Amino acid sequence: MMLSSTDPGSGHESIRRENAAAAFTGSSAQASDRPDRKTTVPKVSNNNAQIFLNGLEADFKLKHLGLLGVLVWFLFLHVVGIFYFTKGFLLTRMVLENKSSCDVLPFADTNTKKVDGCWHKKSFDKAVVLIIDALRYDFTVPFPSDVDSGSEPLFYNNLPVLYETAVNTPENAFLLPFIADPPTTTLQRLKGLTTGTLPTFVDAGSNFAGTAIDEDNVVAQLRAAGKTLVHLGDNTWQSLFPDYFDVNMTRPYDSFNVWDLHTVDNGVTEHLLPLLHPANATKWDVVFGHYLGVDHAGHRYGPNHPAMAAKLQQMDRLIRDVIAKLDDKTLLVVMGDHGMDSKGDHGGESDDEVNAALWMYSKKGVFGRTSEDSRKPPATASDRSIPQVDLVPTLSLLLGIPIPFNNLGSPIEEAFVGSTGKDWKNLVTVNRLASAQIKRYQQEYATVRGAEEGNGLQSIELWEAAENDWQNIPWVGSSNPATLRPVYDSYRQYQRNTLQVCRSLWAKFDEWSMAQGIAILFSAIVLLVFYARGIRTQQTELNTILLTAIAAGTGLGAIAGALPVLLGVVAGPLVEKSVLLAATGGILSASWSLFSQPRQLTVPLPKTLWGWLAVLFTVAQSVGFASNSYTIWEDEILLFFISTFGVLAGISSMRQKLTADRVLGVYHSILFVILGRVASMSRLCREEQMPFCRSTYYASATSSTSAPWQLIIPLILALVLPTVVKSFYAGSKSYEGAAPLWIGSAFRLGLFLVAVFWMLDSADDGEWLPLSKETLKSSRVFLAQLVLALAFIAGTTAFIYSKPCISIDVSQGGNNEPDAKGKPSPSSSAGRTTVTILGFGNVYGTRYFLLVVNFCLGIILMQKPMGQGAMGLLLWQILSLLEILDTNALVSSNSSIGPIVLGVLGSFYYFKTGHQATLSSIQWESAFIPLSSVQYPWSPIFVVLNTFGPQILTAIAVPLTVLWKRPLQLSEEATSTSKASNPAIRVLSDAIQATSTYILYFATINLATTMWAGHLRRHLMLYRIFSPRFMLGAAVLGVVDLVLILFSVAGVRWSILSVGDIFGW
Amino acid sequence: MVSSPPSPTVTGTMSSSSGAPPVLKSVPPIRILPSQLARIYSFAHPAAVLLGFTIRFPHLVHDPVSEMLNAIPFLAASQVVFAIICLPPAVGSLEATGNSGTSSSTAGSTSNIILRPGRPARRKGGSGGSGAGAGLGGGLLGGLGGKVIPSVLALILTALLATPVLAILLVLFGAPFTTHHAQTALCAAHMALLTTLPLVYVHGVDGTVWSEVWGASRPADAVWGAALGTCVGAWLGAVPIPLDWDRPWQAFPITILAGAYMGFAAGTLLGRSKWVYGKRLRFTEEADLADKKTE
Repeated sequence: MMLSSTDPGSGHESIRRENAAAAFTGSSAQASDRPDRKTTVPKVSNNNAQIFLNGLEADFKLKHLGLLGVLVWFLFLHVVGIFYFTKGFLLTRMVLENKSSCDVLPFADTNTKKVDGCWHKKSFDKAVVLIIDALRYDFTVPFPSDVDSGSEPLFYNNLPVLYETAVNTPENAFLLPFIADPPTTTLQRLKGLTTGTLPTFVDAGSNFAGTAIDEDNVVAQLRAAGKTLVHLGDNTWQSLFPDYFDVNMTRPYDSFNVWDLHTVDNGVTEHLLPLLHPANATKWDVVFGHYLGVDHAGHRYGPNHPAMAAKLQQMDRLIRDVIAKLDDKTLLVVMGDHGMDSKGDHGGESDDEVNAALWMYSKKGVFGRTSEDSRKPPATASDRSIPQVDLVPTLSLLLGIPIPFNNLGSPIEEAFVGSTGKDWKNLVTVNRLASAQIKRYQQEYATVRGAEEGNGLQSIELWEAAENDWQNIPWVGSSNPATLRPVYDSYRQYQRNTLQVCRSLWAKFDEWSMAQGIAILFSAIVLLVFYARGIRTQQTELNTILLTAIAAGTGLGAIAGALPVLLGVVAGPLVEKSVLLAATGGILSASWSLFSQPRQLTVPLPKTLWGWLAVLFTVAQSVGFASNSYTIWEDEILLFFISTFGVLAGISSMRQKLTADRVLGVYHSILFVILGRVASMSRLCREEQMPFCRSTYYASATSSTSAPWQLIIPLILALVLPTVVKSFYAGSKSYEGAAPLWIGSAFRLGLFLVAVFWMLDSADDGEWLPLSKETLKSSRVFLAQLVLALAFIAGTTAFIYSKPCISIDVSQGGNNEPDAKGKPSPSSSAGRTTVTILGFGNVYGTRYFLLVVNFCLGIILMQKPMGQGAMGLLLWQILSLLEILDTNALVSSNSSIGPIVLGVLGSFYYFKTGHQATLSSIQWESAFIPLSSVQYPWSPIFVVLNTFGPQILTAIAVPLTVLWKRPLQLSEEATSTSKASNPAIRVLSDAIQATSTYILYFATINLATTMWAGHLRRHLMLYRIFSPRFMLGAAVLGVVDLVLILFSVAGVRWSILSVGDIFGW
Repeated sequence: MVSSPPSPTVTGTMSSSSGAPPVLKSVPPIRILPSQLARIYSFAHPAAVLLGFTIRFPHLVHDPVSEMLNAIPFLAASQVVFAIICLPPAVGSLEATGNSGTSSSTAGSTSNIILRPGRPARRKGGSGGSGAGAGLGGGLLGGLGGKVIPSVLALILTALLATPVLAILLVLFGAPFTTHHAQTALCAAHMALLTTLPLVYVHGVDGTVWSEVWGASRPADAVWGAALGTCVGAWLGAVPIPLDWDRPWQAFPITILAGAYMGFAAGTLLGRSKWVYGKRLRFTEEADLADKKTE
């Protein structure tokens, strides 16, 4: 063997091939100055090797499948654990199927005189109900003059019609703050607005595919009363109320295309106004119109944006038009189903998200005020607000239909007190009706559910007190406020008290189910700890016995769980029971197979400072999630950890013996810390971080569009990022083979297309180009699809078939270099051929990294420009991390720190790509980057790529922590009797160890957030902080598991196979 | 396998150390000077620094910037006094200035023959040669020359090198980048006085020692313990900042500074305790080190 004398220590590799034989000897790079890295590649003779090699390859493929099996089992445990916890944790409410009926009054009064309408005399025959999605209360009232906050936000004073009418003609209109019950997503709100009951959290997940309401509701009651109903707008109504609406007049529109501000609104208006024409007056009874423009303007631009002002002005004109065409018999209701936060998003329970507006109008003049204080609409949403459930009884009684059975709301005072404001008798009557219905519901619920009587007792007493007052009213003489008001108040007290009781009652957790879930998650972590860090031998060796045990245990458990249900001994859903016992069985048998042979195991405690650091990062963060502060400031804490690692890496690098390691290690440590700090400048603050945080992700704190200067980021990425990657490849002379085409051309082209995409998008927003919106949109979508095809279709195909990033150069003769370092050549020097292999030193790493490049491109497309910059920095930081690991000998020692730091990086960049652990930070609009309409399963996948992009990219990069600059090892025929000596399997085993460690990080975070959410289930901040963080942790764990199984571990297979094809096994 | 070229700044700082591989004999841990005063004062000093910090703490919370600024002369002076009384000054730096060998040259010169110039010998001379009176008397007159120059050098390096480096580190760990510059700089200055001043006073600009400092591989002693303790304390000091207790002392950089002071006091005392003294911080198991990179 000989070394090329030129440029030692540069990865330049020279291998002499003797004659035509396949056997060759090689050396690692830099044998001259890095003796400790020398690898001797054993000789393999060509003659009888082929069968043996094939055996190794088949063995490798089999082992690979076995490892995937173990990972799939861990995924199964995580899913079952999370499912069982969620089942007990997310609030559930029993849905009663009872319906109110026109003939049956809620109380047992006998003197039922016939009224015009059910239960109560109706005030209106017809109604137009307009929902302006996300109409926040402060959009409708004048800018408060006492606040001198400089310039007035753009959303003020653009929709004055509601306020004007309420002030100028109080008998015709009133305007009130209308408080939504969280979660503030449209689906949940529509359920609340039509059934009059409280939403439960389980519903929150089904927003993408709403299901029909089977509880009693206003729409069903109207239908039952024989009314003709028309629906216009948001098609969520169609899935909630299938077949209730008149087919000919109803016009549903796609609701999730939040980039489209006008299609829905213009469509609704176009079909609404003709219906109001007197000629059409008899064709319909109630119109539900659902406008989405304000909501979409909020999502896309944020409230403080000219587009929002224009949208609100359009709504103002619309309402004036409707008023002009309205007849006397028709009630007009305009309301928001929820508000929006300062960036225009919603879903949570912050004040801005729950403060909607409600406005009712009629030409009849039936509305009144009970006192002078309430003449004007409240200046802010905190005064005289009403809960959204109040709409249901109000609308029902005004239209003369029964109050839906499940209703918990109260009739709105202004609508029933009469234009003089003195009709207390009417007010008491409607409140008695509403109270009676609530009591009926309460009793029914208690009967069905059983145990919860204790909670309801006090409110039943209130009901009896109110009834008592009612009986004692001296009915002689007409309504006397002095006597009637207390009765009204006591009914009111009963209603509100019951609402409170129900709120807390339905915050009822199934602790047993939660405990089961936590137990499964905990056991999974214990097993994973031993699997990842506590096995003395290679993971692959244990695999067969482990898998057999798992399969047996899981199978037995599944049968044991299923049988009693099938035989009818135990009630309950078959799959749930079966799955629980399957998980338990698997855990028990896996524990038995692992722990029955203690010789194989070591105590999985870290032995080095790096190991302890990995534990510290994971555990400290997990403990921190018990505190709302550390959850809120997670992004800063992660930066702190990343800097800590970088500084320690720098210190450790200073200790390296070799100058090259030292210089390189320190350089990359400094780079690593600086890159992390630069990335930390990209922030999207959550509400709780104010005022100590300044958002930079979008153009301003009240916007959700990028600033024009941010458009330069994609361009810089296209110019710089491929060059950065190239420099890391060139460092080990690996910029060979497919690398130049892939990184230098395809990656750059993809990034350039991304830049063009975002320019077109901004051109669309800012109307810079004289092109139609349609042209811009279709060309944009085409570009995005092209990038995705490049990244995932072409990229994956190429990844599977690509050769390693090496260049083999064969030259004759030139063999007069000194043979000082190499072994003496076995053959004579005559006719020797020198084979120079460039890129030999990092053959596994560079080959595998191409997969990371593919995913990086795909994920960058799905991010906003600022997030793209963050993803670029992440890619750079990953490369820098790999160099740090290599120079500090952490690659070959399988240190846990590599995968853990990747996990920390993934979590950190989650926050740097414009996300927070809140529901409202999900960038739903990213589903429309490569598609113009919602398409399953693609749209959810795109949202996942946008949301969890950083975690996905780091998951893809995990195997690199053991592959980067890993020396090539080939099997030695002499010892080939033992299969464990197959070096490819050794690589595989290391990769699986890294993968398990990475899962361990996210599984620990998931367990911690789960436990804390369960433990703090009565905490004030549960729904604002702990519950979203739990959901984030669970979602990330699932996504990470899947990505690792489907892509990372699979990618290792192709990399090793392709290296094996060239170099043998 | 060398990848992209190292940045010039790195090579600059490294050049001194890269030529000195760890094979070279490293400087042994520092002992406090043997005089009675030194022994007493070496315990009194960290306690006094901590006490002073505690007393001034309300003022620090009230107005961090001006309090930190006002405290700098006092801290610097007390650190210099501590160094002069308790620590052996760097001789290497003196020789570099060409003005060495005043009072302690007798003791020093004997050892100079044996060992590398200055430092270890100086310590030996210090520990061996000072009878109480002679050591003190000689120290007062001749010692001043040998001690003033290291002190001045330590002050200059602390202000010009250590403070900016620590300030950058603070920002990298998440200190505000666009605001709070005065706070960051002053916090860094305090930390520099606690960490670097004694180190420079004792070791001068010896490349071997400083490469050990950068690698955190100095053997434990009072000076290195103080430096490490200050850094670890400051690191831990960041922990309470995010909590929503709404206390005024949670403002940056008060907790970090408090952590640094506590770490300084603990590190000074711990570093010279018999359990820790002379031990080195280890990143990996030494046994692994040899075969780690070979497979």
